[in-house]
Amino acid sequence: MSGGAVWRASRAAVKRRKLQTFVIGLVVLCSTTTVLLALAVISAARAPFDQAFDAQRGAHVVAAFDPAKATAEQLAATAHRPGVEAADGPFPQAVVRMPVDWLGRPPGPLTLVGRTDLAGGPVDRPELLAGHWATGPGEVVINQPFKGYPDNALGKPLPGVPGLTVVGFASTMSESAGGWVTPDEARALHPGGLQMLYRFTDADSEQRLTAGLDAATEGLPKDALTSGQSYLKLKQAFSAGADAFLPIMTVFGTLGLLVAVLIVGNVVSGAVVSGYRHIGVLKSIGFTPRQVVVVYLTMVSVPAVIGTVLGTAAGWALAGPILKMAFSGIMTGTAVIEPAGWLPAATLLAVPLLVALAAFVPASRAHRLSATEAISAGSAPRAGRGLKVQRWLSGTRLPRAVSLGLGQPFARPARSALTMSAIVLGVVTVTVTTGLSSTLVRAVGPNGGTGSATYVHVQTGHFAGNKVAAPKLTPEQTEAMLHATPGAERVSTRGLAEANVAGFNQPVYIDFYGGDEATQKLHVVQGRGATGPGEAQVGPAFLDQHGLKLGDRITVDLEGRQQSLTIVGEELEGNVRAITTSDATRALFTQDRHVVEYYVRLAAGADADAYIKAVKDADPSLVADVATVDMTAPVVSIIAFSTVFTILLSIVAALGVFNTVLLNIRERRRDLGMLKSIGMTPRQVVAMTVTSVAWLGVLSGIIGIPAGILAHRLITENVRIMAFPESMIDVWGAPLLAGLACAGVAIAVLGALVPARSASRLTIAEVLRNE
Amino acid sequence: MSNDHDGTTRPDGAQAVVELTGVHKEFGDAKALDGIDLRIHAGEAVAVMGPSGCGKSTLLNMVAGLDRPTAGTVRVQGQDLGGLNETGLALFRRRSVGMIFQFFNLIDDLPALDNVALAAQLTGTTARQARRRALELLDELGVAHRKDVYPAALSGGERQRVAVARALMNRPALLLADEPTGALDSRSGEQVMDLLIDLNQIGQTLLIVTHDPDLATRCASRLVEMADGKVARERALEPRS
Repeated sequence: MSGGAVWRASRAAVKRRKLQTFVIGLVVLCSTTTVLLALAVISAARAPFDQAFDAQRGAHVVAAFDPAKATAEQLAATAHRPGVEAADGPFPQAVVRMPVDWLGRPPGPLTLVGRTDLAGGPVDRPELLAGHWATGPGEVVINQPFKGYPDNALGKPLPGVPGLTVVGFASTMSESAGGWVTPDEARALHPGGLQMLYRFTDADSEQRLTAGLDAATEGLPKDALTSGQSYLKLKQAFSAGADAFLPIMTVFGTLGLLVAVLIVGNVVSGAVVSGYRHIGVLKSIGFTPRQVVVVYLTMVSVPAVIGTVLGTAAGWALAGPILKMAFSGIMTGTAVIEPAGWLPAATLLAVPLLVALAAFVPASRAHRLSATEAISAGSAPRAGRGLKVQRWLSGTRLPRAVSLGLGQPFARPARSALTMSAIVLGVVTVTVTTGLSSTLVRAVGPNGGTGSATYVHVQTGHFAGNKVAAPKLTPEQTEAMLHATPGAERVSTRGLAEANVAGFNQPVYIDFYGGDEATQKLHVVQGRGATGPGEAQVGPAFLDQHGLKLGDRITVDLEGRQQSLTIVGEELEGNVRAITTSDATRALFTQDRHVVEYYVRLAAGADADAYIKAVKDADPSLVADVATVDMTAPVVSIIAFSTVFTILLSIVAALGVFNTVLLNIRERRRDLGMLKSIGMTPRQVVAMTVTSVAWLGVLSGIIGIPAGILAHRLITENVRIMAFPESMIDVWGAPLLAGLACAGVAIAVLGALVPARSASRLTIAEVLRNE
Repeated sequence: MSNDHDGTTRPDGAQAVVELTGVHKEFGDAKALDGIDLRIHAGEAVAVMGPSGCGKSTLLNMVAGLDRPTAGTVRVQGQDLGGLNETGLALFRRRSVGMIFQFFNLIDDLPALDNVALAAQLTGTTARQARRRALELLDELGVAHRKDVYPAALSGGERQRVAVARALMNRPALLLADEPTGALDSRSGEQVMDLLIDLNQIGQTLLIVTHDPDLATRCASRLVEMADGKVARERALEPRS
C-alpha cells in the first residue's frame, strides 16, 4: 500500500468532515495566536534588555564616590580587585540644574559625566544616536533613554545651563549619566563625585552584586561610596510594563491550549468512533493498522498545520502593537523591543505536535480495531450506558423530549466530559474577562472618567513639545486667565519636576497637583491622598522596587532643598520613577509654581470650542483641546485583548459543542427517525437536542464560574504595576453572577442550535430507509 | 356522512381512511410513484406487494406523512397531508398512524416498557399513565413478562411485538407495517402475522407492505400489486378462515 493511497484516504476523510476540519483549524489558530503573544511578551520582557546590555558591555554597578574621601588612584585600584571582571573610571561627575522643562523633560538635576572613551571603553559603551561625541569645551551629549530624538535640538544650547551646547544624543543601557561632556568640561562644572563603572564575574543577584561591590571597595573609607546603581533594578524597571501582561497572557494562553487539546481530542475521537465502518473498510482493502492511524493523524494535521500557520502569522502581526503598548513609557534605551525570532519556528513545530499528541490517543483506537469489528460495530453508540439514569428520567414528570435529552450525554460519557470541559474553559474565560473589565472600569472610573462634564486640557507649549514663542503669561496669570475666560467652572494644575531621592540611583519625577480639583487628581486605592504638606503618594511599582510601604518616609532633594516626605497613599498604577503630591508639598521646596498642564472643567452648556479659542488668543504658546477619557494604554489593551480572546474562545467552545451534537445526531439518526415517525415534533427534536447539552452548560457554569473568579483574583493580585484594592477585585454581585451562569448555557445552546434544527428537519423516510 | 359519489364511503358504510389521488413521487429523474390512486376503508387490511424498487415503501411513507408527494393528494381520515407543515405532520403521525418497521427501530437505551410508553409520553401523557397503558398492551401482545428487558436481549419476535405495542399506543386509526416479518425467523413471523390478523379482526385498519405472499394472503383482505410506481393490479383476497 503506497503512501499515495494513505494520502488519498486522508484527503477524503478531510473532505468528508469539512465542518470538523474547520473547527480544528479555528481552535488551533486561536490558541496559537495566544500562545505566540504570551511567549512574545515573555521573551521581550527579558531578552532585549540582556542583548542590548551585553552589546554595550553594560555596567553591572554604576558607583558614585565622594572625591573628598577616596582619591582617583584609590578608585582606579578597585578595578583589579577579585571578582571584578572589568571596570572603567574614575570619571568626574557633576550635577547641573535645568530650570525649565525641555523636550518633555521636567526641570531638575542633570548628571553629567566627563568621559572620552564612550565608544570603546571596557564598560558601558553608549550608542551614539545623533550628532557626535563631546570632544571640546562646552559640548554635551544628552542621554536619550526613550525611543527617538529631536534633530532640531542639535547645535542648540542646553536650556538654562549657560555654556553648554547639545552636540549629540546617545543612549546607555547602564543609565550611567544624564549626559556626557569631556573630563575637562566636567571638572569645570565643579564635580561633586567620581564615577566608577564595574562588571563583575558573578552578577546574577542583588546579593552577589553587593558582595562584588563590597570586595571591590574594601579598604576605602567607610562613607566614600555615595551610591551604587544595580543593573538588576534597571532590568526590573525595563520589564515592569510587560510584567503587567504576563499573568493575563499566561492564563489565556493556558486556557487556549487546554481548549485546543480538548476540542482536538473530542473531534478526533468523534471522527474515529463515527468512522468505524470507514476504518473497517480501509483495513479490509489492505490498509495496515499503522496506516489507518496515519490517515486519522493526517486528517487532523492538515487543519492543525493551517491553523498553526495562520495563528502564528496573526500572533506575529499582533505582537508588535501589544509589545508597543506593554513597553510604552519604559526606558528601553537601545534595546530593540521585538518578539524573539525563534518564536514562529517554535510554535510552528510545537503546536501541530501537541495537536498530533491529542489526536494520537483516539486514533490508536483505530489501530486496535479489527476490520470485522469495525464494520459490524455500526454507528450507534453501544447500548448499556447510563441505562439506570435514562430509566429514571423516563419516569419523571419532565416533558419526554427534555428527559430524553437529559439522558443522552450518559450514552457517551467520555465525549460529554470533553465537551463539558470545553464549555467550562469557555465559562472560565468569560468570567475572567468580565471580572477584569469590571475591575478596570472601577479602577478607571473615579479619576479617569470625566463624567458628564466637559474638560479642557491646556498644556504649556514647552511641555507639549511645540516650537512656539515663549509663554506670554506666568503660571499664576495663566491660571487666572483660565478662571476668567467665560465658561470655566473649575481649574486644576499639574506641575512637574525632576528630583533625587536619597538612596535611589535614578532621578524621580514629581507631579504637583493644585487648584480646584487637586484632591480628585490625588486618587489612591490604599491609604489617603497626599493633599497635605510633606505627604506623597506613589504607585505599586515604586513601592515594590524600592521595598517601601505606606507610612515610610523618603528624603527628596529638589533643586538643592531636601525635604522628608511621608508616603500616605498607594495609587492604582504609576511609573516606577514617579511620585505624586500636591502644591502644598511643593511649597516646602520652592515658591516657583511651574505648571505643565491645566485641567479646566467647563460649566454646563459652555462652548468648549469658544473657550479653547479664547485661551489660545490669550496666550498662543498654550496648547488646548477637549480632554478625553484617560484610559491608560495597559487598561485599554488588557480589556481589548481579553475581550477579543474571550469572543474567540467562546466561539471555539461553542464549535466544540456543535461538533459533539453533530456527532450525536449522526449516530442517532435512526433513533431520531423513529422518534419523528411516532410523532415527535420538530420543536421537540430541537428541545431534546438542545437539552442534551444545555445541562452540561449549567454544570459548566457551576464549575467554571468559581474557577474563573479564582483566576481573576490570581491575575489582579499579580499584576505588579497595578494595585487593585479588594473593592475593585470583588466585583461579583448577584446580577453579574446570574449573567455568568447563563454563559455556559449560552455557549452550549449556541453550539447546539444549528445541528438541532438540522436534526428537526431530518427526512424520516430517508433515514429509516438508509438504516 | 355519505359520499358514495366520490368514493369516500363504501356501500357498506365504511369510511375511507386513506385516499391517494394521482400521487406522483420523483427522486431526481427516477419516478418512484407514478399516478397512484388508492382508497383504504376503515377496518380493511390492505397488502401492497411488488418487486424491489416498485415504490411500495414510498407509498407507505406518503400515507404515514414521512415524505411528501411531488404531485397529487394524500388524505388520511379526511385530512389533506399536503396542507400540513412539519409540526402538523408530526401531530398527525402521533394521533392517526402507528408504524411497524422491518428492523423494529426500538431505542436501545430504553427497556421494552419505556419504548412503548414513549409514544404516549410525547403527547404529554404522564409517565405513570403511559407505563400503565404500555403494560396493558405488552400484556395483550404476550410480552408483558419482558417489560424490563432492553431490546438487545429480546428475540426478534419479541422486539416486533414491542414495536407493535408502541405503534398501537396512541390508538391510531391506521396501522402501517413495512415488511413486518422481513427480519424474523419463520416462527416469529407466524406470531406477528397472527397478531396482525387479530388486530384487524377487532377493527384495526392495516396497510402492509411486503414481499411475502404468505403474509399478504393471510393478513390482508385486499391485495394491491405495484410495478414501476403504478398500481398494476388490485384484487380482493379470500376471506381468512
